[in-house]
Amino acid sequence: MNNQKNSMLPIAIIGLVLLVALVGGWFWYSSTATVSNRNTTANRTPDAGKLNEQKIIYEKGSPGANPPNLLGAPNATVTVEEFADFQCGTCAVKHPIAKEIIATYGSRIKFIFRSYPLTQIHDKAYDAAVAAEAAGMQGKYWDMQNQLFTNQASWMTKDPVAFRGILEEYAKKIGLDIEKFKTDMAGLPAKTRVDLDMQRGRSIRVSSTPTFFINGKPLDLSQMTVEGMKQAIDAELQKTPQ
Amino acid sequence: METTEQNSIPKLPLLASLLALGGLADAIYLTIHHYTTEPVPCGEAFDCGAVLTSSYAEINGIPLAVFGAIAYFTAFSLAILTVFGNRLMWRIFGLQVVAMGLFSIYLIYVQAFVLKAFCQFCLISAGITFTLLIIALISKFWRAK
Repeated sequence: MNNQKNSMLPIAIIGLVLLVALVGGWFWYSSTATVSNRNTTANRTPDAGKLNEQKIIYEKGSPGANPPNLLGAPNATVTVEEFADFQCGTCAVKHPIAKEIIATYGSRIKFIFRSYPLTQIHDKAYDAAVAAEAAGMQGKYWDMQNQLFTNQASWMTKDPVAFRGILEEYAKKIGLDIEKFKTDMAGLPAKTRVDLDMQRGRSIRVSSTPTFFINGKPLDLSQMTVEGMKQAIDAELQKTPQ
Repeated sequence: METTEQNSIPKLPLLASLLALGGLADAIYLTIHHYTTEPVPCGEAFDCGAVLTSSYAEINGIPLAVFGAIAYFTAFSLAILTVFGNRLMWRIFGLQVVAMGLFSIYLIYVQAFVLKAFCQFCLISAGITFTLLIIALISKFWRAK
């Protein structure tokens, strides 16, 4: 009898822990979800109230660099706006996804890329963003953006001084006038554009990179895939007459 | 010596079960934050968003934290069964924490070299896993003596 009791005790403890984990987890989830106005459906998209609030914040945000770095059609009804940090690994991982979306939708969307360097944790992110803007002054913003993301692993660990040299290498590779590139890197206009984009990011509460907005709605983490983004863009395209 | 071994072995599974509970709580916390999409509080030196929203944070749409919770619950159960005398469970526990340790090394590699960003909750989990592994190794070493 005592033995039987002894063999049941660990099972009872395990069962109790499982029960506490499931019930406690559920209550914890419910309370957190209530605070964040989570939608009760399974697709993890925020509810209408929260989306509206985010859309208002988005529309009232600082304008950012003008004109923005834009691909697609400036008058398209669907705007995809990305905030990214060139030194953020996830941003580099999501770069091919953004490229595929741009290639797929072409002039049906307006794709805006804004730099949002997380300067407290990434020592070269700001310089990288300025370099892209300096390249943009010679019409090669997207070439530099692509160089920075696709070669991120090779410059990530370099010191900021060595990184300057790498930026000049990329500038040569994409056919920039090096002297002008260096002057633009040092000048105020490129930095101001980066600062304006950062200001816009802060004003619309960008808290992590990358952040994608589709017509003002921030994408859920799970939607940052080609399929997820297509679904969100298609939903917006269907709302407006072509 | 025989007496020392008899007394010390159950202490290690008991310690392991408590640690596994800590790991379970950490994994549940990350799972909840994943599903509510609320950002986790993150220290200055960390970039939790980059880690927890990366493509490495999910397997077929299921967050890694769910697998972590299952692994810690299993480790807890095995350790508790050992505390109550089922020594076979301790061997299975040893094998499991070796697998968990290897996977943790892979996740640390991803954070350090692929994402170049760390998340403290992921590092806490890795720390718990490595401690469980050390406990299993100490236990093995002790028994070998």
